[in-house]
Amino acid sequence: MLVAHLSPLAASLFSLIAIASLLLAFVMLGSRWLRHYLYAFALESWLIAALSAAVGYYGQYPELYLIAVLTAVFRGCLLPYLLLRIVRRLNVARELHVVVQASSSLVIGAFAVVFALVVATHIGDTLGLGGTVVVLALTVMLSMKLIGFLMLTVRHEAISQILGLLVLENGIFLGSQILVPGMPLLLEIVILFDLLIIVACFGLLVQYLISHVGTTSSLKLRRLVG
Amino acid sequence: MVGALLLTIVLAPSAAIVLILLARRPRLAEGLNLAASVIAFLAALALPALSLTGAHVYWASYIILDPFGAWVILCSAIVYLLASIYAIGYMRLLEEEDSLPRFYALFAGFGLTTLVGPMMNSAGLYWIAIELTTLVSAFLVAFERAPESIEAAWKYIIVVSGGISLALLGTVLFYWAGSFVLGPHYDMTWAVLRGAAPQMNPAVLLLAFLLVLVGYGTKVGLAPMHTWLPDAHSEGPAPVSALLSGALLNTAMVGIVRYLAIIEAAHPGPLPRLVLVVLGAFSLFVAAMFIVRQRGIKRLMAYSSVEHMGIMALGFGFGGVLGVAGALYHMLNHTLNKSLMFFGAGSMMRSYQTKDIGAIRDVGRRFPVVGALWLAGAVAITGAPPFGLFASEFTILRAGLRGPQVWAAIVMALLLIVIFIAFLNHFREMYFTPTPAEAEPAPARPVGAWCAVPMWLALVPLLVFGLWWPEAIWQYFGAIAHGLTPSSGVIGTGL
Amino acid sequence: MTRDILLQIAQVLAVLLLAPLLQGIILQFEERVQRAQGPGIFQPYRDLRKLFHKQIVLPETASWLFWIAPVVAFTAMMTVPILIPVLTNFPLPLSDMGDILGGGLILTLGGFMITLAGLDSGSAYGGIGSSRAVMLAILAEPTLILVFVGITLLAKAMLPFVVNHLLVAQPAVYWSPAHLFLVAAFFVLLLVETDRLPIHSSTHVEVYMIEEGRILEYAGPLLALLRWASMMKQFILYTIFCNVLLLPWALSIEGTAIGALGAAAALMFKFTLVGCAVVVVETTQSRLRFYRYQEPLAASFLLAVLAIIGTQLS
Repeated sequence: MLVAHLSPLAASLFSLIAIASLLLAFVMLGSRWLRHYLYAFALESWLIAALSAAVGYYGQYPELYLIAVLTAVFRGCLLPYLLLRIVRRLNVARELHVVVQASSSLVIGAFAVVFALVVATHIGDTLGLGGTVVVLALTVMLSMKLIGFLMLTVRHEAISQILGLLVLENGIFLGSQILVPGMPLLLEIVILFDLLIIVACFGLLVQYLISHVGTTSSLKLRRLVG
Repeated sequence: MVGALLLTIVLAPSAAIVLILLARRPRLAEGLNLAASVIAFLAALALPALSLTGAHVYWASYIILDPFGAWVILCSAIVYLLASIYAIGYMRLLEEEDSLPRFYALFAGFGLTTLVGPMMNSAGLYWIAIELTTLVSAFLVAFERAPESIEAAWKYIIVVSGGISLALLGTVLFYWAGSFVLGPHYDMTWAVLRGAAPQMNPAVLLLAFLLVLVGYGTKVGLAPMHTWLPDAHSEGPAPVSALLSGALLNTAMVGIVRYLAIIEAAHPGPLPRLVLVVLGAFSLFVAAMFIVRQRGIKRLMAYSSVEHMGIMALGFGFGGVLGVAGALYHMLNHTLNKSLMFFGAGSMMRSYQTKDIGAIRDVGRRFPVVGALWLAGAVAITGAPPFGLFASEFTILRAGLRGPQVWAAIVMALLLIVIFIAFLNHFREMYFTPTPAEAEPAPARPVGAWCAVPMWLALVPLLVFGLWWPEAIWQYFGAIAHGLTPSSGVIGTGL
Repeated sequence: MTRDILLQIAQVLAVLLLAPLLQGIILQFEERVQRAQGPGIFQPYRDLRKLFHKQIVLPETASWLFWIAPVVAFTAMMTVPILIPVLTNFPLPLSDMGDILGGGLILTLGGFMITLAGLDSGSAYGGIGSSRAVMLAILAEPTLILVFVGITLLAKAMLPFVVNHLLVAQPAVYWSPAHLFLVAAFFVLLLVETDRLPIHSSTHVEVYMIEEGRILEYAGPLLALLRWASMMKQFILYTIFCNVLLLPWALSIEGTAIGALGAAAALMFKFTLVGCAVVVVETTQSRLRFYRYQEPLAASFLLAVLAIIGTQLS
């Protein structure tokens, strides 16, 4: 197991990157301007790519360098660029009618992080790895998941919902780099491309939303009930 | 032999997709799709018998064919064939000849992805297959480009993608738990995970299983994660709805059952099965509530799908030979029956030009043959004898009364009665209430042969399987159930 | 022993005498940044002297609370410097009278008395100012407590001196995410508690007043006491921010007279740096709408929670 034999410098580097990613997820949660989401997401993807490279360096997994480069290129550059194109076409700059205030969602997100910490500490204790980077990785993974779901529920703009899903995936990717760096390479590459296909499909659906429904706000999508 | 058959199943729809996209002619597209579905069906028909000789692993252990997978592939192939026949008649009614090649390409792609899912040996690849089914079917649901369809597709893709990401988290946690036992690099196949399960940490296993259950449960349509199901199934064209209900939900169930077998190998106590049973019972309850007050004909069928997935979850949750056999037989019968119901609903929608139950009247008088078929299907789907669903539901009830969760069996029986009454009440409205004298009858377009034949093809086996449960199939189910219980310690006999 | 008592008295005197200087420096910076002349950094001293020479005027509707509140506030602000490291980095006599939470409690006590006094005279502006101040307190106090909890968890002790030693001795703890988040959270709280933008406007229009609204009825020496108390509160918060969290260096270790004077000079230098940062933040922001006050405070709450989590994981 990689994380049981980490040097303190490596552990603190991983901790720093993980917490910075979590902070960026909160920036995405609390901002109202769609461009800010995208930039925060791009920065977060770059940070996770750096984490991949660091894990590859300290754990001697050379294939992770390739993953790091692919992550940086696809998740960090290509996805935000595609989404930025969609945003420009949308003519929507920010969330107009919020379901929950940005500040309240930040507080709820903080509680979600505390819950994730409790679960992760419990698991870490049963495994005997409590107090190491493992607990931090589990916490950040679970809390980014919860924050992603929170973004899906409190946001009603289509782009914000797509970004919420991408934050979910980012969280899983972050956790898997620290916890299971030895996962088969094929799997990681395929998941990465899968993400690209997902965003392309979302882009197409958003096109349909604009042209046939006339709005991308899910507050207006209320035709199907019962 | 098995390898060749699997390759045929994969290549036939793929070739159809490529040729359809190259040729772009509607009649050719219809024919290619139909041919692909016939070839896939014939190949899948031979698979269950061949898989009994043991699990066949191919292509660097990424592809597996075991008895359970073979059965699910057969069910998917059946509905793919029936839906392809029906689609020819139905899509011609839409009178949009230019978009037909795109439809059939997507349709063949959808069929391909549902056929491929149960073949996946690696848990990660299985996840990717499920994700691909979501993407392809979302575009099929949005095919008609009406605002409701696009809203349904959007809701579908958001809810299901969110749910499946939970399943991905569960998969990663399973891999992590396994890495303590098997080292950092290993192939995450079902058999390997099952072998290592007894030594994995129980807390991590439980968390991972719950995540996978909720994640793939979203895709299966278990309440409370079912919210996308009524919209997606009701807004897509009828052949797509049949394929969604009949093939996709089964493919997602494969994941839940396989992960259940993995965690059962670690003897975790009653909690995993209990959660599955609770989800199944809650799905039945939600479906019953919404069926009582339903106004849309296809949404009614969609909630019926929720109900039957709940029953299947109950069957797998009760476990044992009876439970698993009942659930698997239910899978086949539900596939046939739901296809029949969606075909009838699609034809009625096209004829009466409405989705509202209140506006469809006098079906029995206007469509004698198709109407009779549809009514028989309605009686069947609510679980009445002598049709197949009665036999499977009865078996599941028996399994439940024997196991520890007797309350679930009682709840299931009660809710089935409620659903029987409510569902058939809607059909009574449609069939036996005459149109008011002052309203002129809506122009009823006749149902073509292309649409009627698959309904016959679905009903007859349903009746046969209800009256006669072949001994061979019982033994087949016994082999599957045996493979799913943790007492079989031999790795590699498959699930 | 006597030297320590003298140092303790010197700490209190330093806070008392240097607080107006800090206020003057900040105001002068602000005016200069806005390309005005500025009143000079000693203006608060002149204001205080002017106010002390005036006559005490009390409203007819006021009670005993009216003139006791400034006295209590002033006394409370003089008590807190005993507890925190101002000039020395070793505890002086009576500094274990209260820990970090105790210091926060006494700070809030002074503010509470002034809020009561705002209500006491029965004027409309006093009422508005008091209600707004209480609302801000409701938003800010939990975050302040969480920041104190975070500091405590970081050093595993409740005394500010221990935190100071820890941060000086171990750079790893200084640069850890927990500490950095605490600094960020406390900075936002500093802006809120010392009435800087984006919370409070320095234009004297009654609608915007929070601080000023409560003390609108005061005049003369009582007003001088109140102004001095708020300047001392600002000084104390800056002291906690610098000496405990951000720049824990340059405190007198031996306790000699030269050391104390040097520490005082270093203190003013550190405050000048922080003051620059505060002025920069203030001039680049506009005032937030009242119902959006929760936003920076929610961000501060979040940072405090993340800091606490960071302390649990290392």
